[in-house]
Amino acid sequence: MWLSVPLRSLWRSRRRTLLSVAVVTLGTAVSLVVLGFVQASRDQLKQTTVEEFGNLQIAAADLWNETTDGYEYLIPPEAVAAVDESLAAESAYVGRTLRLEFPGLLASGERTQVVRAVGIEPDNGVLDPPSIADGRRLESGDTASVLVGRSLAKRLSIDVGDPLIFTLTTAAGAYNATPLIVAGIYRFQSEDAELRTIFLPLRFGQLLLGTDGVDRIVVGLSDLALTDAARTRVQATLDRTGIALEVKTWYELSPIYQQLSAYFDLLFGFLSLAVTILVFFIILQVLTLSFLERTREIGTLRALGTTRGEVFRLFFVESAWLALLGALVGVAAGVLFSFAFNAVGIEWKPPGTVDPVTFTIVLAPMTVLPPFLVGLVATLISGLFPSIRTSRIRVVDALRVE
Amino acid sequence: MTTEGEFCHERGGTTLETRNLSKTYRLGSEDVHALCGVDFAASQGDFVVVNGPSGSGKTTFLNLLSVIDRPTTGEVLIGGAPTSTQSERELSTLRRSTIGLVFQTFNLVPVLSAAENVEYPLLLQRLSKPERRQRVAALLDEVGLADMAGRRPNELSGGQRQRVAVARALVAGPKLVLADEPTANLDSETGGRVMELLRRLNEEHCVTFVVVTHDPAVSAYARRRIRILDGRLDEEAVGVAVGSAP
Repeated sequence: MWLSVPLRSLWRSRRRTLLSVAVVTLGTAVSLVVLGFVQASRDQLKQTTVEEFGNLQIAAADLWNETTDGYEYLIPPEAVAAVDESLAAESAYVGRTLRLEFPGLLASGERTQVVRAVGIEPDNGVLDPPSIADGRRLESGDTASVLVGRSLAKRLSIDVGDPLIFTLTTAAGAYNATPLIVAGIYRFQSEDAELRTIFLPLRFGQLLLGTDGVDRIVVGLSDLALTDAARTRVQATLDRTGIALEVKTWYELSPIYQQLSAYFDLLFGFLSLAVTILVFFIILQVLTLSFLERTREIGTLRALGTTRGEVFRLFFVESAWLALLGALVGVAAGVLFSFAFNAVGIEWKPPGTVDPVTFTIVLAPMTVLPPFLVGLVATLISGLFPSIRTSRIRVVDALRVE
Repeated sequence: MTTEGEFCHERGGTTLETRNLSKTYRLGSEDVHALCGVDFAASQGDFVVVNGPSGSGKTTFLNLLSVIDRPTTGEVLIGGAPTSTQSERELSTLRRSTIGLVFQTFNLVPVLSAAENVEYPLLLQRLSKPERRQRVAALLDEVGLADMAGRRPNELSGGQRQRVAVARALVAGPKLVLADEPTANLDSETGGRVMELLRRLNEEHCVTFVVVTHDPAVSAYARRRIRILDGRLDEEAVGVAVGSAP
């Protein structure tokens, strides 16, 4: 009876119950949709970041801290071999690739652009450059071939097969220049990355820079979730073997990811707070009125010997039913809306990107549970005060109410 | 419990007693004395009717007897035990175990059926389900509502609702039943039937009944009649009533 009586009371005041459930439902569903969208954006950002940085990167502290203007941070081949031995002991390790980054000027016949040249190991498989929009990927035998981004190709008015001149300062500080042929045009989500990054074969890059070293070792892991654990283990192994290099995770290498991730958390936190406050005050009002109308009934129950605690239990269980019902219906409504929304496939172009992306709402336990809890807890909190107040009514006063 | 038609022979022990009972309300800047030094006692099996005009202090007196209100001074003793020192929780326990209440407006819980309303005091006493069901069925049978067990209060007539309320007041086996104007919302014929029921149950269950009313017809059912006026018991009128119920 302690569970069924509150349920029957809700049924008795159906209109008010419907209003309360609608409020909780709306709050829960809106939270679910927003969190699902935020999660989709975060997933997309994560994917882009990992595609750009790999899982882990190993380099000298000077590179990470940008404490030198020269190339003292370059990792010689012997150190790369030592790192390879350390990596072989890591259970999540699936492979690594070497990279060498250096700035330079890329000129077509008409224009010049400051770029970041990235020397990569073609066909390595661990961290392939972004997908090719036109032309081909770099291959093992390539020398003076280059991949340019769509935005850069547009800026320099170049196409696949066109010649370019690349000018740079070598590791020793000398001036160097080389002709390049556009092997392919790649696409990337970030317009800025497309504009400022070119990819060269690593060997050719080393030749241009006048070094046999690399500036970082990019590590691929079997599972993104193992990133932190793998980083700790690899760093410990490097420290133990006296290799003075530092391991960074993909998210540490991307301040943008960290900032946006924090922004997403803040966005959802703010929304949850707004929904909680809104639900709290509306439900508080509805329940206070509802309980007030039943003052005489409460007086009767107390007169029959029901203790304050038992009255509180009866009315709080009523709030709990409301909370559960509203949150469940809210989740169902949010899930249905998300399915429908995802099925329609609305596209939008986030700022700083080249291609439009499909607006998706992620449905997963981590996007469904928090909104459910927001709806549930907000309603329970709002039911607490009227339930306590109701249980404290003086019996004689309650019985006098018409 | 005595069987139907059998007279209560256990009458004698004091069930209820008040000593110098007073209740004063503050109304603006004035004190209103609703009850002034009332001494009263009722024995087991008594059927006391307290009458008096509106505003004479009848309901205040009943509220104090049913320990849902506290006196300004004085004491209410139930079964010889003082109640003024008891906590809210202890008074709730006392009400559920010792006192049955019948209200003028029936005060049934609207979302419960007749049987569930009667069952409610037993639920508070945490009796087992089979025992609850058995006692509810017996009481509903006694008040003539066995076939109305599943009906909600809004599906019952005024007389039927008051009979459900009477069954609810008696189901937990109280020592004392307090009724506040039990016939006020009923027509005279239905009111008469309810009073006959109360008298019959008083005899059969040997329970002390205190009925507050301003209806002279109800007074006719009294074993003892008490008049209350301006918050004082009319000493002249206190005494054993002549005759039994009509």
